[in-house]
Amino acid sequence: MASHSPVEPVLPWWAGGLGIGLVLIVAVGLVQPIGVSTQYVALDGVLLYRVLPEVAAQTPYLQETTGEWTLATYEFLFVAGIPLGAFLSALATGRFTTRLVPDEWNRRFGSGPGLRLVWAFIGGFLLLFGARFGGGCTSGHMISGVSQLAVSSIVFSVTLFASAIVTARWLYSNRRRG
Amino acid sequence: MKLLLGLVLGAAFGAMLQLSGASSHTKITNTLRLKDLTVMKVILTAIGVGLFGVHMLDAAGWAHMKVKDLYLPGMALAGGIFGVGFAVTGYCPGTALAAAAEGKPDAWATVLGGLVGALVFAFMFPELEGYLLSMGQFGPVTVQGFLGMQGIWLAAPLAAGCLYLAWRLPGSGGTR
Repeated sequence: MASHSPVEPVLPWWAGGLGIGLVLIVAVGLVQPIGVSTQYVALDGVLLYRVLPEVAAQTPYLQETTGEWTLATYEFLFVAGIPLGAFLSALATGRFTTRLVPDEWNRRFGSGPGLRLVWAFIGGFLLLFGARFGGGCTSGHMISGVSQLAVSSIVFSVTLFASAIVTARWLYSNRRRG
Repeated sequence: MKLLLGLVLGAAFGAMLQLSGASSHTKITNTLRLKDLTVMKVILTAIGVGLFGVHMLDAAGWAHMKVKDLYLPGMALAGGIFGVGFAVTGYCPGTALAAAAEGKPDAWATVLGGLVGALVFAFMFPELEGYLLSMGQFGPVTVQGFLGMQGIWLAAPLAAGCLYLAWRLPGSGGTR
């Protein structure tokens, strides 16, 4: 793997896409389509139940998602597998990195770590708020949902990309602002 | 056994995200800026393969389908909110976990923000349920259901279209 430049993806696009598609097919054949964002709610529910059990039990959405207040579920372990697989493959290909500010962010907003961390947090907030509002994320709606030709997923994916493209072109534009 | 299967499938998914550059802020934002469409090619290939495979399984009666409910305009608004977050952080809920495991500290901030966002949504759910989530309810509709046809006849040509598009779109550049 040493022949690869450290900033180039290891796999060509077709191999990555084929791999993701095959994971989806195996998952649909054996259990159910893949999904990630619901497990953020499950983790929230289980953590809150540890600290404030009454509050957690009185929040119907947490109760409904988490059920028995346990993370020993197929769905959670699928999501727990993602960082495991990413960690092992980053390690195996020499791509483990503690860089805090990404290149594109640095180019536009400078190398300050505080600004990047704050906006990465806000972005994460919007991601999961939107994903739970829509009932899925890039995995559940775009990969699983569009593959099933679900109308809800097609609507979600189209508005997601429209909004993300407009935001990114404005946010990371080459023009200097201010 | 089922738990182990979840972990193995998740790990395969995470490895694919990492190895294809999908857990890179620069790759994602450059795809969204329409400068380097590598990640778009990955997604289109995944959907193309998925469309064909899932509907072949379905035709054989082996698929465990799970179609999400449609509610307009809530679904469009949700996609819009998600899109802004996607552009700002450069990660999605899954790739943030992959990037965090690769050691990137900003991805940890995104995961934390996501946990808070999901919790706030959980608390707001009772109010939203009676309002935006119930407006324009159509249930779990699919295109093939709407047209009254077997999915594979629709999925096969669409899959071919996705793969052709993935092949034709341009894309290259770094991941840092």
